[in-house]
Amino acid sequence: MDWSDVFGGAALIPLLNAAIRLAIPTGLAAVGESFCQKSGVLNLSVEGMMLTGALTAYLGAYYSGSLWVGVPAGIGGGLLVGVLMALFTLKFKTEQVINGIALVLLAQAATSFTFEELFGDLTLTGRFEPMKNWEIPGLSSIPGVGTVLFNQSPLVYLSVVLIFAIWYLLNRTMFGLAVKAVGDRPAAADAAGISVTRTRWVAILVSGAMSGLGGVVLVVGQLGMFMQNVTAGRGWVAIALVIFGRWKPLRVMAGALLFGLTDAIQLRIQAASGGIESNVPFELFQAMPYLVTIAVVVFASARARRSGEPEALGRPFFKGAQIEA
Amino acid sequence: MAVTGALVTGGILLVLVGANPVDAYVEMVKGTFGSWFDVSLVLTEMVPLVIIGLGLVIAFKARIWNIGAEGQFMFGALVGGAFALRVPLQNQFLAIPAVLLVGALAGALWGLLVAAARVRWRVNEVISSLLLNYVALFVFAYAVRKPLRDPGGFKPTSERVPDQFVLGDVPVDEIRVHVGIVVALLLVPLVGFLVNRSPFGMRATMFGMNPEAAQAAGVNASKMTLRIMMLSGALAGLAGIIQVLGSELRLSNNMSTGYGFTAIVVALIARLRPFGVLLAAAFLGALTLGGDVIQRTQQVPRVLTMVIQAIFVLFLLLADRRRSN
Repeated sequence: MDWSDVFGGAALIPLLNAAIRLAIPTGLAAVGESFCQKSGVLNLSVEGMMLTGALTAYLGAYYSGSLWVGVPAGIGGGLLVGVLMALFTLKFKTEQVINGIALVLLAQAATSFTFEELFGDLTLTGRFEPMKNWEIPGLSSIPGVGTVLFNQSPLVYLSVVLIFAIWYLLNRTMFGLAVKAVGDRPAAADAAGISVTRTRWVAILVSGAMSGLGGVVLVVGQLGMFMQNVTAGRGWVAIALVIFGRWKPLRVMAGALLFGLTDAIQLRIQAASGGIESNVPFELFQAMPYLVTIAVVVFASARARRSGEPEALGRPFFKGAQIEA
Repeated sequence: MAVTGALVTGGILLVLVGANPVDAYVEMVKGTFGSWFDVSLVLTEMVPLVIIGLGLVIAFKARIWNIGAEGQFMFGALVGGAFALRVPLQNQFLAIPAVLLVGALAGALWGLLVAAARVRWRVNEVISSLLLNYVALFVFAYAVRKPLRDPGGFKPTSERVPDQFVLGDVPVDEIRVHVGIVVALLLVPLVGFLVNRSPFGMRATMFGMNPEAAQAAGVNASKMTLRIMMLSGALAGLAGIIQVLGSELRLSNNMSTGYGFTAIVVALIARLRPFGVLLAAAFLGALTLGGDVIQRTQQVPRVLTMVIQAIFVLFLLLADRRRSN
């Protein structure tokens, strides 16, 4: 195979452009999840939120004939799983690790079921042209940087705005303060008049909407099709990136860019390696995004102090039932 | 209550896709218990579910959330399968125990990675074990595409394992099930003893209920985590190699229909009781085959049964909550 197809000068700018594109779906989900975890809820249903969002976005765009209909449809799909997650975690107060995993299993089965029922056993039916890139006039003609940053799908620009909005919401508003208080000292926050349950409801729904939008970007912005388990573990990668980014939205997004770059490189290696008879072990490169994610989680977890981790993460709150130290 | 809830939801889904739910359920029961042949199929399907499920019970009891059984299963199948294909042991009574041991050890190693990362660097086991599933799948895909590829085969699979490694059928007239079922049945009381009666099981349960108190009582948390994950992985790996030697007879990418994930449902439905695993595996094994039946007779996608499984777990969580209140 020709390695200059992967790392050569001419390939570099498209590579970085692809890295950003591939980083966005996971990044959206990861930033949403960091917000959710800040409120003390360990939401493991991200993969299910993304996958459901991907399917509803596909259906919305496919049946309406307009890609933009896919956007609210996909966000709605993510919110649907979010509502279930919130009901079980906050209202029924079941073990959140288990109901998170169960919701992923449910979403995987239910999306496959719906898709097969509507489109039959075929995996490649109903392709449509994904959303065209918007070249920002002026900026996109800057050599190098312009093509990388300002020749992207409009969904990418929207995503970047939302990611900064989440950062702003968490760090510069009263509500963000409430989220952090509820995640660290729920009993104290409750005593101060903040509703723990309501704050956590909103946080889970934010995660649902962001993950659903991640599914939208994947399907409407990139692939133009749906297939079973199209998200391929990106939701789990997103949870890993939250740890890597120490619950700080912008650091989490930086982790997503690293993941996107790895993904872009491995896709190129696969394309350049030449198919099933190739001697290049391209499967090992396919495993690379997951291996890199594991590596960064190990790296982040190994630092002695886990600063940023909400102290009440994963613990249910029973009003009036516990006094915390 | 959970059974009724899940079956009713499944029934509603059947109505939605235009099938008659009563007919569908009758077909499912007839197709899974209607003849000795069908019963044999259910029993064969149960083997991996019981063995992996028991391993997950051990882990979940200690509240170590191993969701990497799928990867441990595939890695056990791969390394055990490679041993059978490459090591010329002629004597069956030596070959089979040796290859089972190799498969179990490979699974244990894959589980050990998760435990080591948690103990050494405090890496959340849910994320690491899930991500390692993907790594195992890609390693497996490379192995059957290149080094272990059957040169005469069209699809990337290995050659058939040599005869002396093949697990024969149990010597019962009407039933055609490989002896893996005997291993599974023997493991149930063994794991039951380990979990409920042995000092190790007591310590593990204590560790699960309250890690701090268990440590104060002299339980070594690191050692506990390592042992439990290795044991859990070993059982998944054993299930993998048994599946190769008893059912598949060669290594192929689609040898698992997600047994590692279905086994999570098995362990949860069994309410983490080893003997319950047997019943839960029978139920889910029958449900899976019932899915094949309704796909044939009612044109309903078989993945419906996985929807029912996931809903079942959610209903079970609700039921348990009612009980504890």
